[in-house]
Amino acid sequence: MKRIISLFLSILLFHSCEVIEGPYMSGDVNPIDTSNNYVKKVLIEDYTGHLCSFCPDAARELDVILDVYPNAVGLAIHGVNNFTRPYVVDSVFNSDEKYLYDFRTSWGKDLDDFFEVSANGLPKGTVNRIDYSSNGNHRKDFAQWSSLVADELEKEIKFGINIDITQTPLMLSDQFDIIINSEALSSLNGNYKVIVCIAENNITTWQKDGTIDDPNYKHKHVLRSFLTPTWGDNLAGPEINNGDVFSNAYTCIISDLENDNINYSTTLPLGVGNTGQWNTENLSIIAYIYDISSYEIIQVEEKSFISN
Amino acid sequence: MEMKKNYLKKYKILFQNNMKNKIFIFLFTFFVLNSYSQNSGQINGDFSLNLQSYVEDEAINAQAADEVVLNNAFLNLLYSNNNLTIGLRYESYLNALLDYDSEFRGNGIPYRFATYTIDGLEITAGNFYEQFGSGLIFRSYEEKGLGIDNAMDGIRLKYKLGKGINLKSFIGKSRTYFTYAEGIFRGADIELDVNETFNIENQTKYILGGSFISRYEERTNPIFEIPQNVAAYSGRLNILSGGWNYFGEYAYKINDPINSLQESEMNYASGNAFTNSLTYSQRGFGVTAEIHRTDNMLLLSERDRTGKAYIMNYIPTLSKPHAYTLLAIYPCATQAMGELGIQLDVFYKIKKGTLLGGKYGTKLNFNFSRINGLEGGNSMLNDNVDFTPKLFDFSEELYYSDINLEINKKVNKQLSYNAVFANQTYNKDFLEGKTPGEYGTINSTIAVIDLSYKIKKGHTIRFETQALFAKQLESASQEEEGDWLMGLVEYTISPNWFFAFQDMYNYGNENKDKRLHYSNINIGYLKGSTRFEIGYGKKREGIFCVGGVCKLVPSSNGLNLSITSSF
Repeated sequence: MKRIISLFLSILLFHSCEVIEGPYMSGDVNPIDTSNNYVKKVLIEDYTGHLCSFCPDAARELDVILDVYPNAVGLAIHGVNNFTRPYVVDSVFNSDEKYLYDFRTSWGKDLDDFFEVSANGLPKGTVNRIDYSSNGNHRKDFAQWSSLVADELEKEIKFGINIDITQTPLMLSDQFDIIINSEALSSLNGNYKVIVCIAENNITTWQKDGTIDDPNYKHKHVLRSFLTPTWGDNLAGPEINNGDVFSNAYTCIISDLENDNINYSTTLPLGVGNTGQWNTENLSIIAYIYDISSYEIIQVEEKSFISN
Repeated sequence: MEMKKNYLKKYKILFQNNMKNKIFIFLFTFFVLNSYSQNSGQINGDFSLNLQSYVEDEAINAQAADEVVLNNAFLNLLYSNNNLTIGLRYESYLNALLDYDSEFRGNGIPYRFATYTIDGLEITAGNFYEQFGSGLIFRSYEEKGLGIDNAMDGIRLKYKLGKGINLKSFIGKSRTYFTYAEGIFRGADIELDVNETFNIENQTKYILGGSFISRYEERTNPIFEIPQNVAAYSGRLNILSGGWNYFGEYAYKINDPINSLQESEMNYASGNAFTNSLTYSQRGFGVTAEIHRTDNMLLLSERDRTGKAYIMNYIPTLSKPHAYTLLAIYPCATQAMGELGIQLDVFYKIKKGTLLGGKYGTKLNFNFSRINGLEGGNSMLNDNVDFTPKLFDFSEELYYSDINLEINKKVNKQLSYNAVFANQTYNKDFLEGKTPGEYGTINSTIAVIDLSYKIKKGHTIRFETQALFAKQLESASQEEEGDWLMGLVEYTISPNWFFAFQDMYNYGNENKDKRLHYSNINIGYLKGSTRFEIGYGKKREGIFCVGGVCKLVPSSNGLNLSITSSF
């Protein structure tokens, strides 16, 4: 018995650790096969807040993931909670005018409330909303994201999405028609919905970043508005044939959407409507399809307004 | 097809888990009934229910619960017969109290085990709790107050290798809420009683110990090398001689980076920690001096996760665990990633019949602790950074200090009191993850008088008066809560009843709107081993710690009911 135990301990001690010697950086990412018209894409929803000092770590991770995996799409969601509340205008206690901008949206609140992300501590996010359960398995720490993105990109592509953003001469200068064409790439059984939203990149304003208050922080992929209801428009189901194409059309006027958010801000605690000044050049449309039985996002596409 | 496969996979796992539980319950019932029919074996158990209603209270920022009432409950059942012990715990969170992680949701039997002992070998299959040494590299435990339960699920063996030599080893996964973390842990611990093993008859006793832990977790990273097997080991020595007791432990962990793609997040530095304590005690006098240091010594059950549910090692706290409310308002949270701390604790009993001792003697307890950061932070190693902090540097940023004196005296047969005077310094910005300069460091002076008067046989009344005077040591952008007063009156009719009323008043808050009262009333009834308690009142938002492990408790307003029972 003693010999068996000694042998067991020897195996345990000598084969159960891996000390990595530098250099620590290695390996290249396999290039994505883009010979097909459509490629599988993955959506990372980064729940964040300008008063969350650890959230920039997650935002930087998202940036690197988007660089490493060009078929990943990022969306920063600001719910309504203590991490996202704006500071009050106060010349004594807030003479630097910190954190006056209001990133909160009603859709961000709906999503955050439903997936219970901020309530369980930020930063956290979802990757294609996989593993949804009431126990919170869908809430992923940022260090989990890259592995999950790699796994998701390996999955079979079920839909292709094409986003068409058009503007005709008769339209207002900030009015756009958005057409989402979704093509089934295999025969499917299930019910699917499509969601279309608008995100803005590079909003420069205050952010708590570790131990500093950064006035020049660039907030990226910020959710601005939804063109569909929070839980989407019906797309198809329950029986879908390979090659079926579905079209969903929307018209949006950016200044109207901006005003909607301003009005919404004023209904919130500490909100004074300071959520305007959208920059159309930095706006993009994000469209995604999800399975309503599991909430899992099965395809996503992003297109910038200025790439017309 | 993929979706269908996933559903089938999930259903299969669910089915397998349900089947495991059903098989276990069947076996448990079979053993119990079979043994009872033969009039052998023994069953023990305990039950706890904690129910709380939550109503909105804007003044204290208390949220209402959608469910109105939340409930945590569990029942432990333990059956033992000769060398066999079987146990299970049924847990119910419908839904979990707001100070629990919301991942605790639903009902289940997350804890079940069977232990059998034969020829000196103890075999446990299923769930178990385990700790190696003081826990620096491994501690699997439950603490209901904190909502922590990282029980292992697997196989554990304990074996007495020889005279004075005990070995234990295990393999398993750790519990996180109602599931298990990805990491597979393998561990072994050996303890050697030198005197017993080598037949040394000496007043000085030496006990040596060594532990080893390894976590396997499959990971791929397209940019960085990630170790899949991460090991940690520790050695410890305990020397006991007369009134002296020395305990020292050193622990080391190999590189354990997270799975990020950002170089700034990647840390390949090893971790280490040590703790040393020297105690001398004799009748009426005791003194303990302790020092510990931790550097990059956090071991998680999943390297990519955050949150206390995933922490698998334990750094013993170096500050005195205070039970009085205002003494615990600014508690010390242990920093596994890096801290250096010292503590001195002196106990002295002034003899009976002396001027200060009086008829029954007077007990004095002086305690001092100080914890600061490491010079430049914790160790860091990657392709661009190679940093190791100094071993000892007490001039670094102060995290926490506490100097306090406790006097406990029985005046006569009816009257006794306990008085505590303390001065604490609390780095709120660091310990609560705020931006430096937001609240700064809080210094507080606290006085507590706890008076107990026995009116007649079985009837005791207790008064507790506490005051806290706080100041922010440097200018900060946010105002701290300021000064507090607290009063409590408790009437006990032994052995069945107690009634208590307490009020906390934040009278010194700079913001006049926040000069609030937090009042609570509680009534308890005890019968045998069963205890009922019902209460109503407001709770302040704050940090609650047990042994240096802390959680944030949200403010609340509502009714609470607790029932505990054992048999």
